[in-house]
Amino acid sequence: MILLTIIARIADGLPLAASVQEDEQSGRDLQQYQSQAKQLCRKLNAQSPARCILEAGDMYFHCLIAEDVCYLSLCEASFPKKMAFAYLEDLHTEFHYLYGKKVSTVTRPYSFIEFDTYIQKKKKTYVDNRTRRNLGSINTELQDVQKIMVANIEEVLQRGEALSALDTKASNLSTLSKKYRSDAKYLNTRSMYAKVAAVAVCFITLIIYVRFWWL
Amino acid sequence: MSLQSSTPEALRVVNLLQERNLLPPGTVPAPTPCLPQDIQKVNCNPEVFRCTLTSIPQTQSLLNKAKLPMGLLLHPFKDLSQLPVVTSSTIVRCRSCRTYINPFVSFLDQRRWKCNLCYRINDVPEEFMYNPVSRSYGEPHKRPEVQNATIEFIAPSEYMLRPPQPAVYLFVLDVSHNAVETGYLNVFCQSLLDNISALPGDSRTKIGFITFDSTIHFYNLQEGLSQPQMLIVSDIEDVFLPTPDSLLVNLNECKELVEDLLKSLPHLFEKTMETQSALGSALQAAFKLLSPTGGRMSVFQTHLPNLGVGALQSREDPNQRASAKDIQHLSPATDFYKKLALDCSGQQVAVDLFLLSARYCDLASLGCISRYSAGSVYYYPSYHHQHNPAQVERFQKDLKRYLIRKIGFEAVMRIRCTKGLSIHTFHGNLFVRSTDLLSLPNVNPDAGFAVQMSIEENLDDMQVVSFQAALLYTSSKGERRIRVHTLCLPVVNSMSDIFSGADVQAITGLLACMAVDRSMAASLSDARDAMTNAAIDSLSSYRQSVLTIQQPGLLAPACLRLFPLYILALLKQKAFRTGTSTRLDDRVFAMYQLKYQPLAYTMLMIHPALYRVDDLTDEGALNINERTIPQPRVLQLSVEKLSREGAFLMDAGTVMYLWIGRNCNPNFLTHVLGVPNYAAVPENLYLLPELDTVESQRTKAFIGWLRDQRPFFPSLHVIRDESQLKASFMQNMIEDRTESALSYYEFLLHLQQQISK
Repeated sequence: MILLTIIARIADGLPLAASVQEDEQSGRDLQQYQSQAKQLCRKLNAQSPARCILEAGDMYFHCLIAEDVCYLSLCEASFPKKMAFAYLEDLHTEFHYLYGKKVSTVTRPYSFIEFDTYIQKKKKTYVDNRTRRNLGSINTELQDVQKIMVANIEEVLQRGEALSALDTKASNLSTLSKKYRSDAKYLNTRSMYAKVAAVAVCFITLIIYVRFWWL
Repeated sequence: MSLQSSTPEALRVVNLLQERNLLPPGTVPAPTPCLPQDIQKVNCNPEVFRCTLTSIPQTQSLLNKAKLPMGLLLHPFKDLSQLPVVTSSTIVRCRSCRTYINPFVSFLDQRRWKCNLCYRINDVPEEFMYNPVSRSYGEPHKRPEVQNATIEFIAPSEYMLRPPQPAVYLFVLDVSHNAVETGYLNVFCQSLLDNISALPGDSRTKIGFITFDSTIHFYNLQEGLSQPQMLIVSDIEDVFLPTPDSLLVNLNECKELVEDLLKSLPHLFEKTMETQSALGSALQAAFKLLSPTGGRMSVFQTHLPNLGVGALQSREDPNQRASAKDIQHLSPATDFYKKLALDCSGQQVAVDLFLLSARYCDLASLGCISRYSAGSVYYYPSYHHQHNPAQVERFQKDLKRYLIRKIGFEAVMRIRCTKGLSIHTFHGNLFVRSTDLLSLPNVNPDAGFAVQMSIEENLDDMQVVSFQAALLYTSSKGERRIRVHTLCLPVVNSMSDIFSGADVQAITGLLACMAVDRSMAASLSDARDAMTNAAIDSLSSYRQSVLTIQQPGLLAPACLRLFPLYILALLKQKAFRTGTSTRLDDRVFAMYQLKYQPLAYTMLMIHPALYRVDDLTDEGALNINERTIPQPRVLQLSVEKLSREGAFLMDAGTVMYLWIGRNCNPNFLTHVLGVPNYAAVPENLYLLPELDTVESQRTKAFIGWLRDQRPFFPSLHVIRDESQLKASFMQNMIEDRTESALSYYEFLLHLQQQISK
């Protein structure tokens, strides 16, 4: 999608016309790109290459310089280069025809802001060609998402199985450990009885010994 | 610095209890600040920029002692006949405080200038040395920026956050049964059809329409369609736009479709029986449509919104209208409208509200949508195309002015003042975005603003202080411009000088704004007491600090002699009166007007001008464009001045009353009204007939002259003694006693009693 278009005079970077994509979401993020575009217009001069692409984050600035005017457009990375430059060429032809002679005489910024209506219309035609292709790619993406979702569900189900196995194991462990506890208690009591009996036997032996020895 | 010798008239002591004829013959002139002639010559026009005290006190304690409010009243976008426009590659501004260069800076030598607001020394840029007007070099002080206090710059691209927006107009129309009954739709469509080519804009202008009742209707006006297509969205809880484009279309390209739509719109809804109104959802939809670009939204509403978000209840109790105690429900019932207005302001959308309703509409809540988005509110109570033709005429003329007047988009305004002064409260339809940056999505020539100031540091060693208001806006043709007004006033340190420089009309205007804020924040009775106390405190401060000889009576300086009269007028104004039956919407609208209108029209609203018109002569008449305009004397607002044998015209700003006495001069009746006698004067006359007599010409010239001075259209009502409007006419007789309010003389006695306590 073409998000931003600026047409400026090379000599001093004076903006002549511009168009911003009118959309609720993207409008706000474009602030930073707009100031970059303005700075670009000032930096470019007659020696800069006639066509170039400048990378800015995940967006590309496509730049066309012709007849002392530079045409800048900001597009997403996936937008095809050929299409972007065809669009800029189109703008150049029309702009030069309408305003070419007056470019060097104006002093006010955005003197030709009325060119905006033509830019908007052109943008729509260039986007529409891509839309059909986009729809196709969106469809394939949806299918991918479906597959991934299906795969995920399977994983989830397997995880579910693993979980239930874990659950049974844990409950087994719980019962076994309870049994172990009762066994241990039983053994403890038994050994206690044994100890008590041993002590009692010793005691009785002692008493008998004492009785028979002393008497 | 004592200026007493140069203004003896302003300090002449007046005993209000004895002198009865206080009003000047014409309008009350604005006081001239006491500055040297060459500075005062270039000073800002008082119609644009005015201060309540034309001599600024040196310290805050001095200001507190004088007990007068200090503030500025401005009308920054007023239609001016002469406006110098400067296109310059660099705009010269102070390095530290960013003040624009103005006539009151001082040039140290040819190359350096000293800012008059922060006293920083700046360099004069090379381009500034050349004066394109006189084609001379080396005289920076002759450049137009330094010769004019009001000037407009064409802004370079650093002053733009985004490319200049096109003019975008969206009309949101109520089409419920009630709305179609009133017949406003016909008038609106016809007006727009007539003025569609005169809408301010260029080839990028966009236009759109939304109509609503219990559902929202959008209109697809795409180029190439044979007729406009209506799309109905009934999901009002979660509004969405049915198509991404062609709801707002380029006016030039789709003009035929737009005209088709306007011709067919009144007939589309003729048979509607819908009684519900989903205004909140319609506003949300309209906001969605306008938020990418910004623009102007005009909303027409004819009854209480009762469906969906923002639905309102009828809060007015008809039995409480004449309550002598507090008036309830002056503040909004819900903050839905305020929140939406703030969102709109952030996206550079202004909302203008036209309320045409016979019943209660909760203007206190609905009005918020315009107040915070820099829109304007228009109110036509009891609008009906058959029963109320005077309102219809007023609506038509107002609509014409509204559609073709100059407009500025995505504007911001900043008011700067000399170091030591600070601004703390802002009045008017605006949003204060940060400490002193005022956000105005739309700026129009009929809006006035007021600010209150205080003195943070003592203004020692300063002879003069300056104020600068800078308005940055995009014109309807896509040009970014800055309009700068600069005002310079002297600093004084004696109480008598402060009083001699008091501007009684500006003080009254500022007090009215403060009282409206107080009524909404606290209560109406608080506001009324505060206004009375303002009069009492200032006059008693005058008595103690300035008067050398204590005389009996109620003494005031000549410049403040009208102050108690204006305070009484405010207390009897529709906005603040108690004890007289006032509809709540009327009251709230009066409050909005007090804050929104520029000072000249507010003063007419508060204290209407009364003239005797049955004996107009050419004596002292003005000669404008070869027409002789008689200038009758302004009379006091008292029944005492009315006479059965005469006819009197009362000019109250938005409405004019022509009262005919019972034994009126038959000459006047036949030659001006075209009727043989008093009994034949028709009941609801609102147009003077076109007669060829001298008296008729004179009367029409006078009324036309009054009307031409203001941008809106005051409706004229001819009333006799038995007319229903007689009550409204008599309510403006401020100096008289009524059951619920004091007469002027009694009020003066009350003030005197309070002062001598």
